[in-house]
Amino acid sequence: MPSLSSSASRSARAARDAGAALSRASRRAVMAAAVALGSTLLIGAPAHAAPAVGQKAPDFVAMDTRGKQHQLSDFAGKYVVLEWTNPGCPFVRKHYGSGNMPATQKAATAKGVVWLAINSTERAASDYLQPAALDSWMKTQSAAPTAVLMDEDGTIGQAYGARTTPHIFIIDPKGTLVYAGGIDSIPSARPDDIKTATNYVNQALGEAFGGRPVSAAATRPYGCSIKYKS
Amino acid sequence: MLRTLLSRLSVAALALAAVLPAVAQLPPKASPVVTTPHVRAELIAHAPDGVAPGAPVWVGLQITHQPEWHTYWKNAGDSGLPTELTWTLPAGLAAGDIAWPVPKKIPIGNLANYGYEHTVLLPVPVTVAPDFKPAPALVGAGGIDIRLKASWLVCRKECIPEDGEFALTLPAQGSTALHKADFDAALAAQPAPLAQPGTIAVADQVLNVRVDGLPPAARGKTLEFFPETAEVIRTAAVSGKDWTQAWQGDSWTATIPLAEQRSASPTTMPVVLALAEADRRDGAPIAWRAEAPVSGTWPATAAAAQVSPALQAALEANTAVSLPQPAGSFAMALLGALLGGLLLNLMPCVFPVLAIKVLGFANHASDRRGHRSAGLAYTAGVMVTFLALGAAMLALRAAGEQLGWGFQLQSPVVVAVLAALFTLIGLNLAGMFEFGFLVPRSLCAAQVKHPVANDFLSGVLAVVIASPCTAPFMGASLGFAIGLPAAQALMLFAVLGFGLALPYLVAGFVPAVAHLLPRPGAWMDTLRRVLAFPMFATVAWLVWVLGQQSGIDGAGALLGLLVCLAAVVWSFTLRGRTRIVLASALLAGTAALALAIGGNIVRPAEPAVAASGARWQSWSAARVAELHAAGRPVFVDFTAAWCVTCQYNKKATLSDADLLADFDARQVALLRADWTRQDPAITAAINALGRSGVPVYVLQAPGKAPVVLTEILSKSDLKAALAQL
Repeated sequence: MPSLSSSASRSARAARDAGAALSRASRRAVMAAAVALGSTLLIGAPAHAAPAVGQKAPDFVAMDTRGKQHQLSDFAGKYVVLEWTNPGCPFVRKHYGSGNMPATQKAATAKGVVWLAINSTERAASDYLQPAALDSWMKTQSAAPTAVLMDEDGTIGQAYGARTTPHIFIIDPKGTLVYAGGIDSIPSARPDDIKTATNYVNQALGEAFGGRPVSAAATRPYGCSIKYKS
Repeated sequence: MLRTLLSRLSVAALALAAVLPAVAQLPPKASPVVTTPHVRAELIAHAPDGVAPGAPVWVGLQITHQPEWHTYWKNAGDSGLPTELTWTLPAGLAAGDIAWPVPKKIPIGNLANYGYEHTVLLPVPVTVAPDFKPAPALVGAGGIDIRLKASWLVCRKECIPEDGEFALTLPAQGSTALHKADFDAALAAQPAPLAQPGTIAVADQVLNVRVDGLPPAARGKTLEFFPETAEVIRTAAVSGKDWTQAWQGDSWTATIPLAEQRSASPTTMPVVLALAEADRRDGAPIAWRAEAPVSGTWPATAAAAQVSPALQAALEANTAVSLPQPAGSFAMALLGALLGGLLLNLMPCVFPVLAIKVLGFANHASDRRGHRSAGLAYTAGVMVTFLALGAAMLALRAAGEQLGWGFQLQSPVVVAVLAALFTLIGLNLAGMFEFGFLVPRSLCAAQVKHPVANDFLSGVLAVVIASPCTAPFMGASLGFAIGLPAAQALMLFAVLGFGLALPYLVAGFVPAVAHLLPRPGAWMDTLRRVLAFPMFATVAWLVWVLGQQSGIDGAGALLGLLVCLAAVVWSFTLRGRTRIVLASALLAGTAALALAIGGNIVRPAEPAVAASGARWQSWSAARVAELHAAGRPVFVDFTAAWCVTCQYNKKATLSDADLLADFDARQVALLRADWTRQDPAITAAINALGRSGVPVYVLQAPGKAPVVLTEILSKSDLKAALAQL
């Protein structure tokens, strides 16, 4: 009978939550130390395959450009957008210079969505930016992400299978990946194409908030290759 | 006459001469070469026999990259963009597609691209129309102006988008063969087409590729694999490590991993197989191309739905449970459920029960208390049944059953039992027997002496019959309920039931409504007999439903057993020994018949899709994908035989000649998903659209979100949706 099964599942969930809280607490100390040393951390994620849409998004901890630490699971209950970025890439400049990416960020955060821009460019790359420089570049672009995360060792990028800048992932309040792909539907470096392209991020968030499934849940990401640490 | 003509001509010639310099300077002469810090790009041509109809004419962009830099193939791989060429040619000349030379796989960290380094020529064939005449030269020799706008992305680790405008003038008659060697090399680097298409089977997270008919030169060699379709395979997968290849005679097979975040699900995949650099020989093909049809089912990506405004209200609340929900959202869903329940009263399948109720009210017309208790009992019956159905559904949901609303009529046994029940009710109304003779005294007393129990029972019946026809809002509310905690879901079911019962409840409490009913009298016997016919009509409908489920043998068996049932019931109304003898004989006969043919009732019939006519095809997710790949919009009718609303829409709106012409005009493919019997694929598709019952009507153009229409299908709505395509 439903009442029975629901109470059973409730207690199971409570037990699971308690276990998770314990292991979270025990991991926090380790993590804080590692992140302080400037590396990002994945928590309990399989090391190989990137998540497919509909699967659980791997948890991670990272430091933002202002030295604040963020963990994905802190945002449970909210939609989270991950945007891979690198100001050295012409495709990123296309979407920031035109105001498209800042506008998309503002529209999302106005709905209560958490927007994390992530830079997985390795330190040795010619266009690597120090956190402070990246932060000020974001300011000059009037960007409005919740935070800009540093992922120089590429851990988060590899975990998500991020390939290009920009590359966008949307995680729903339950921690499931609901979108992976491009910022919009016209793969080009021409800012003029933004007008006629479908902004997949606005579309996906609009659908999600309307209680509908995301219609274009996996699209083609386009842009420069992420310069991962080899 | 002639003189004036000549003088006019000379004036015209003079005028022409005056503007000529201006014409010659406009547009500015672009050069055939563009040089950037990363590439030297040149527009070159090859027309050994001049530019004439039937003569081979090639143009192309030759890109010479700086060391370490590359541009991309038609499938760029994990990042990058293919080079784009936009031609401007004189009338009568048409440029074809780029004949892409075999690319190279360029790994970058744990990603990979397909592209070209060093020097590459992207050749494009030009077709010359039979009536092509080069414009007569105004000055000097005749020439054909070829203009090209090209944009390419050139990358090392960093990427630079570049573009250039190129111009070239070809002599119309003379030979252009300066770049013969370049074009020969580019064409030699083309993959050779294979006679056989090859096959690709999707299995879970891999593609099983098979390419037949490869020449001896390739056999046994380790080949490189290049899919022309982007966004399907894990581009960076390494042969021998992440995937394997094998030879069986002239057939090459490989198991290639799919990309985790695959965004393309093609029905046909053109693939290129290339020899390794070391195995390539001059003068022999270095690669082969096959267009392989894809079989199997692509691993699902999230389904999509777009909801008509009518459903939006109820769906607003249907956001993820863990979202901070506005307090009004659940209330909205409850309101939707109430409206849905009210609308259920208007559904044709509620009518027989309505008939029972009318008779019930007529039975105690001036008895206010009776009315009130009747209304309350009926309401209780409806709500309890809704709760029971909801609880059953939740229990099944907990058991992981893929079930939707209306499932109780998807079981042939349930249909047969209902048919028997309605036959009995019909026979009773027709006056063949009184319930008193049939059932034990106590229950019979309950029927007669406790009208309340009677009303409660008719409430139960109302739900059982009405539930398969989900009215607008109901589907959405149920979709909502499926994702809710048990208590809230049950509350939603209760409200739905309350909505269904409300009209009777009101009739019970507001005397004015009761007074509208005629006084009891002799007409009641007549009415009672008349009301037998809706019951028998319901039986006829149920037999038809069973026929859809179990075929003609099942329906025949049911009819036979119903006749036996009627005879048995009649035999019980007899007196004395006749009763004993006849009843025993008939019971034995019925049992024998049930043993002989009863099995037919539950035997599933072959799906009779062809019966629905050539216009409608059978629905499958694969068929939809196929039609979309062919660029056709698709209209899907999710229907079931036991759903009266569906049948009504099918006979009315969906048979409208004007509307069908509209479908044809827009090349819309019509698909029917028959949910008469349980079908997990259809259940999943319905759930993906945010519904849990039929009818569901969906219009979807390729690459667009599906448009879900209202359940009572109106021609105007559908035409409006078609106009949006």
